[in-house]
Amino acid sequence: MVKDITIGQYFPGNSFIHKLDARAKLIVTFIALIEIFVCKNFFSLALIFIFSIVSILISKISFKVVLKGLKMIYLLIALTSILQIFYNEKGKVLLEWWKIKITSGGVNTAIFMAVRIITLIFISSLLTYTTSPTALTDGIDRLLSPLKKLKVPVDTLAMMMTIALRFIPTLIEEIDKIMNAQKARGADLETGSLLKRAKALIPIFIPLFVNSFRRAYELAFAMECRCYNGSNHRTRMKTMKFSWRDFVAFLWVAVMLAAIILLNHFFGAVI
Amino acid sequence: MENDSLIKFNDVSYRYESDTDTPLPLAIKNIDLDIRKGEFVAVLGHNGSGKSTLAKLANAILAPESGKIFVNGMDTSDESLEYEIRQTVGVVFQNPDNQIVATIVEEDVAFGPENLGIEPKEIRRRVDDALKSVGMYEYRFHEPHKLSGGQKQRVAIAGIMAMQTECIILDEPTAMLDPKGREEVMKAMQRLNKELGVTIVLITHYMDEAVKADRVIVMDSGRIVLDGTPRQVFAEEETIEKAGLELPDCAKLAHALKRSGVNMPSDILTPDEFVEAFQRCVSGGGVL
Repeated sequence: MVKDITIGQYFPGNSFIHKLDARAKLIVTFIALIEIFVCKNFFSLALIFIFSIVSILISKISFKVVLKGLKMIYLLIALTSILQIFYNEKGKVLLEWWKIKITSGGVNTAIFMAVRIITLIFISSLLTYTTSPTALTDGIDRLLSPLKKLKVPVDTLAMMMTIALRFIPTLIEEIDKIMNAQKARGADLETGSLLKRAKALIPIFIPLFVNSFRRAYELAFAMECRCYNGSNHRTRMKTMKFSWRDFVAFLWVAVMLAAIILLNHFFGAVI
Repeated sequence: MENDSLIKFNDVSYRYESDTDTPLPLAIKNIDLDIRKGEFVAVLGHNGSGKSTLAKLANAILAPESGKIFVNGMDTSDESLEYEIRQTVGVVFQNPDNQIVATIVEEDVAFGPENLGIEPKEIRRRVDDALKSVGMYEYRFHEPHKLSGGQKQRVAIAGIMAMQTECIILDEPTAMLDPKGREEVMKAMQRLNKELGVTIVLITHYMDEAVKADRVIVMDSGRIVLDGTPRQVFAEEETIEKAGLELPDCAKLAHALKRSGVNMPSDILTPDEFVEAFQRCVSGGGVL
């Protein structure tokens, strides 16, 4: 059950997108996400939507996986879209019943919002699907390193992220073990009201927390033994280098931004 | 000989802090110990005999209550030397899950040298060497949580090796492993000691592992009760049993046979020795 959690899942591969520098990927993703919000009409939105689909194709990640990522939030997408239908009163009236009026403007924005959220998920999940957690934290670490001058503890934050990612599978395994142990003692985790089931989780989480503290203590010892002291003298085994691929990616999003602005300019806005 | 000393305990005592008003008893009592360069030392003792405390004291994680510990001549009570002491003496702990920091094997091995501020190229070389010498090079891109216990523990050992410490203390590294994992780790340790000249201090409660060491130290309630070669130590059956330990299986069997009248030597440690001595007994008409 708990094994279904797919936060930050990474699918190793050898595609163009996998080979991009983590920093470049972060920047490109960030710009692409902004571009989604810059879109004002269906033409520009279609452009970025196609971009996301093409990117997924290039990454060779199966669509099944990407759609599975959507499953978690389909309710959110539906809800936002439906609300748009009722709150927008622009355009032709398509349907009128009692106080509810459905307009063409409403339907348009509803579709627009849905596509926008889907594109958002596609692009952002592509980042984690194609970048190893280590490369990702390393990339964030390096991108934020100018903040060190402002006394922001960037190294420490990156180390915290690394350790958190490192322990997700360990803790998931541990939850499974504790759940089985409690079930063996007769704990009932699957039946009863929501409140009852929530209460049944308490004996799962208390041992989990206690164990986590013990783990943290031991890990701190082990890290100290390996001369970690949170200072800035750390070096890195892997050096990062931008390659021609990264420039292609930068160029791609730049051209797209220009195209979106032009399309926004020449065609009427939906929202 | 004095120059060969790597870790030196001079009349060391240590006591853990108590949560209540009554102080806890001493975990380590007036210990004098000298570990020389290149030795393979096994430290034996039942739970709570103070053997793990010994490891933490040698690594400057704990400071002695009284007495002095010198690592390569550096006083472990001096906090400014902590960093250098830990570059000389590395510790591998019992639970491999709680000492692996990174999400990829090779990055975890690189963690120590990265902390020391070593050049990227040199780190790369050290990481590759360390992984090769524990036989985990093919697994360098794997995720640690997908490895077996023995493999994880070997990664942890490689992590210390990459720091090029002169001495590695292993605190019950095989306690959580299955027999196969134990053998893998044991082989890796022996190779480090014999081929690379790394001083190994193995804290364990498996007698069969201690037999493979050059020197065995037996601890009981904070004191060293025996110190010598495995042959010398395991000949002292009574003292070993008083310390809450058992002899290695073959030694136990040999002692039992001897008691029942079979003419067996009393210093047998390994299965091979046992077989040889037993054959001699049978062919020489030594049986009864």
